[in-house]
Amino acid sequence: MPKTITIHREQAVGAAIDKCVHFGFCTAVCPTYVLDAEENDSPRGRIALAKEMLAAGGKPKAATILHLDRCLSCLSCETTCAANVPYREIIDGAREYIEASGARPWTQQAFRTMLAKTLTTPRLLSMANGLARLMPRSMANLPGPIGALAALSTAPAVAALRAREGWESAAPLAAEIGGSSTGASKTGEANSIRRVGLLNGCVQSVLGGEINAAALRLLERAGIAVVELDKGQCCGALELHMGKRRSGAKKSADLVREVSRLLSTGEIEAIVTTTSGCNSVIQHFDEVLADNPELSAEAAKMKAATHDIAVFALELDLPATGAADGACVSYHDACSMTHGLKLTRQPRQLFKQLNFDQRNIAEAHLCCGSAGVYNILQPDISARLGKRKADNASVGDPDVIAAGNLGCLVQISRFTPIPVAHTVQLLDWATGGPPPRGLEGFQPRPLPEPEPVFEAEAPAQESEEAFW
Amino acid sequence: MSVHESIEAFARAVADELGPEAVSLSHEVIDRYGEHTLPAPDTKPGAVVYPDSTQAVQTLVRLANRFKVPLFPISNGQNIGLGTRSPVRAGQVVVDLGRRMNKILEVNEKLGYCVIEPGVSFQALYDELRNRDSKLMMSPTAGPVQGSVLANALDKGGGCGAYADHFGMSCGLEIVLGNGEIIRTGDGALAGDQHPNWHVSKYSFGPFLDGLFSQSNFGIVTRMGVWLMPKPPHIEPFFFTFEEDDSLGEVIDLIRPLKQSNFVPTLIRANNELYLLSSGETNPEYAASAGKRTLSDEGRRALRKKHGIGAWTVSGAFYGASQAALAPNIERLRRHFTASGTGRWIPLDEAEQIGPLHIAISSNTGVPTNNELKMLSWRPGGGIIWLSTGLPMLGDMAAQFQREARRICESNGLEYMLSNVCGPRFARGIHSLIYNREDADEARRADACYRQLADFYASHGVFVGRAPTLYQGFHHDQRMSELNDACRAIKQALDPNGVIAPGKYGIA
Repeated sequence: MPKTITIHREQAVGAAIDKCVHFGFCTAVCPTYVLDAEENDSPRGRIALAKEMLAAGGKPKAATILHLDRCLSCLSCETTCAANVPYREIIDGAREYIEASGARPWTQQAFRTMLAKTLTTPRLLSMANGLARLMPRSMANLPGPIGALAALSTAPAVAALRAREGWESAAPLAAEIGGSSTGASKTGEANSIRRVGLLNGCVQSVLGGEINAAALRLLERAGIAVVELDKGQCCGALELHMGKRRSGAKKSADLVREVSRLLSTGEIEAIVTTTSGCNSVIQHFDEVLADNPELSAEAAKMKAATHDIAVFALELDLPATGAADGACVSYHDACSMTHGLKLTRQPRQLFKQLNFDQRNIAEAHLCCGSAGVYNILQPDISARLGKRKADNASVGDPDVIAAGNLGCLVQISRFTPIPVAHTVQLLDWATGGPPPRGLEGFQPRPLPEPEPVFEAEAPAQESEEAFW
Repeated sequence: MSVHESIEAFARAVADELGPEAVSLSHEVIDRYGEHTLPAPDTKPGAVVYPDSTQAVQTLVRLANRFKVPLFPISNGQNIGLGTRSPVRAGQVVVDLGRRMNKILEVNEKLGYCVIEPGVSFQALYDELRNRDSKLMMSPTAGPVQGSVLANALDKGGGCGAYADHFGMSCGLEIVLGNGEIIRTGDGALAGDQHPNWHVSKYSFGPFLDGLFSQSNFGIVTRMGVWLMPKPPHIEPFFFTFEEDDSLGEVIDLIRPLKQSNFVPTLIRANNELYLLSSGETNPEYAASAGKRTLSDEGRRALRKKHGIGAWTVSGAFYGASQAALAPNIERLRRHFTASGTGRWIPLDEAEQIGPLHIAISSNTGVPTNNELKMLSWRPGGGIIWLSTGLPMLGDMAAQFQREARRICESNGLEYMLSNVCGPRFARGIHSLIYNREDADEARRADACYRQLADFYASHGVFVGRAPTLYQGFHHDQRMSELNDACRAIKQALDPNGVIAPGKYGIA
């Protein structure tokens, strides 16, 4: 294990730090600063701590680790920053430095390693999830990460988003692609012109099977042939956020190689994601894979070819069946969607097209507290943010709370009885798929009357006095 | 007792009376509250205190009088380019009202107003109205969405839409005076606890005192009524653009009748291209001259071409029943602005494709946005000063002012960026002086530019409005001494020990 990060990475982080000119817009939108108003739990405070840590060298102080660990990496600060400080580079670099320094107690290191391994390995996650379901519910009341894991495993969304039998596709899965060594499989019409890959996500493939199934149904309905990538293939995002750059970047590289092969052989023309956290990291693969120059062209190709389902679906012909007409959707902008991918308009446009009654929610800039493994490692802050988000999202008693990210849905569902659903589940439902769990009894509502046309003509001549 | 000892004793007393969470002497906190964007060193406070109620503010003022410690109240501290969170003088104790006094106390749907504490931000008020499914809309600024609605009004900040005069739309204040007494203005002053007219009637028995507490230091405002407009069924933003720098005179003359007749209900902005485009661009020639020269005319033309706008762009909005109902108004406006052949209409669907115009679309439809402040990265180094002058709505004068102000900016190697916020008779001229604060020479030129511009305008009888803390003493000294004496006398009467922000707007 190296004790430092590479010189060029450290220089890049230093250059990013130097861009901060202390305007201070970021503090007011930083979730942890909003909660506790602690300067060292604000972006500026963390930037100062990272700067001091890199300048001092050696093992970082415990207080530095504490405050940097409390960052959600939501990037609300980056969106707000008027000086365009690339905060993501700073926090990722600082975390990489902390991990490489070996400053954490061994128990913490071991837990973090086990957590990363379990979450990014679908087989292990399935087993862990099965065991968690056997645990008494009272374990959710335990303090710290163990209690948090227990609470998450019993979150209503975990049950609501589980894959269900018989709805994976309108047609049985087609045969595997000839010559593929990945286990990738395809579905859709045999004569489809468009063929895309679906990134199903390491965690989502286990805990959000229904999300992937909804995406498959939707794409198939639009005549798109879908190649599912190797089940649970990880993009590396989770480990990269934890500062485990080496193992995270290795997973990123593996994914780039696989996708590049499918793209270059023409087996797919694009990658579609329903995991916005993954896509927001894929959009930075050039930087993540900077130490693998041989992959730079492939990484760039993958970046350009990867689209969130909300972007991809806008191009499709998907008429509404009327089943979801008038359903009131409180839409939560996942941080990876709004700050990472800058996608806020597209999901709303789709909801409008498909006759949903879409509502925005207050404090849209604040994270729900899910943030990868944050709700396991920082359960207290996470729970306060989760409750705040759920309260805001529940205003007006919507039929469903939607988001483009599994983590947000699981987190929000812990604090509200209102059903939650991924954006793609709602798109699927409105165009012929099953209703998301919790919405089975929904009755379509009449749509508002179109706006009346107002006939009036402008006068032929204008003058200063004419405006009376 | 030394100043330092006084502040420490004050802090101990605050912790005793209001709890330890109500005060901070931490270096990190003090350093960050001292930061600003003006061409001078940071101005560090002596401490930072966080009251949670009007009574807590009263306690702070009483303790400040006892320990002879000067206070500097802020709301959300988003006054970027005007001082941020830093006090007007180093060592003053910042009273951060926004952290704990951030409640929306009332939203009155029938009468169309809200009552707020200092920490209520534009975003928070917007969210609250949306959450309530309110029939009311707010007037946002183009400034930070986390900025304080109350403080913006008190500092005579402007907004967008028909209720853009934020101080004019405030009604009824609660104030802790410098002597520690609490007063309610307007009908709120009636003895008793029933005040149905407090936030609906601006004028009541006796003198109108509210104005005394705008841009001043006579008291700390802890509550304000703010009028809100019923949300129209449809809002139709409009845009026109004019190719030449010298078109400003024509633009101002064309806007005047639209506002005097109230044909256009919103304020109309006439922004030059760099004011608009800097929100989406960085200075492409900065590196070549190391920031010593202003962007060339060729560079400006290239940016205009890239974004499809001219030297001056006009924006505003109509309110009505539907888009179709407003189509004749848009048509009348199109004829009006394009009659001479120099102006061009930018249809809304085209404007929606021009990133920098999204700011006006959001603001005029009542949605707060931070995007205008992306202009701060036009040059590196984080320096910005706002100079707020103004002019009568007369084209000749506007044309003359823009030529000379442009020359002054260029002679200091800075870009001329101006937004004219136009009403029926007066246009507030907001100059954005963006510079590299980390470059001593550039900071010196920015300071010189500000002073030269202010002197130029003053020589033509034009004063400033809202001013950065660094220049408040300078502007105070531009004013007739008799008025300054009157302000001093009021200060003496309401704050005899001078504990509230001595030096703010020059009043001590």
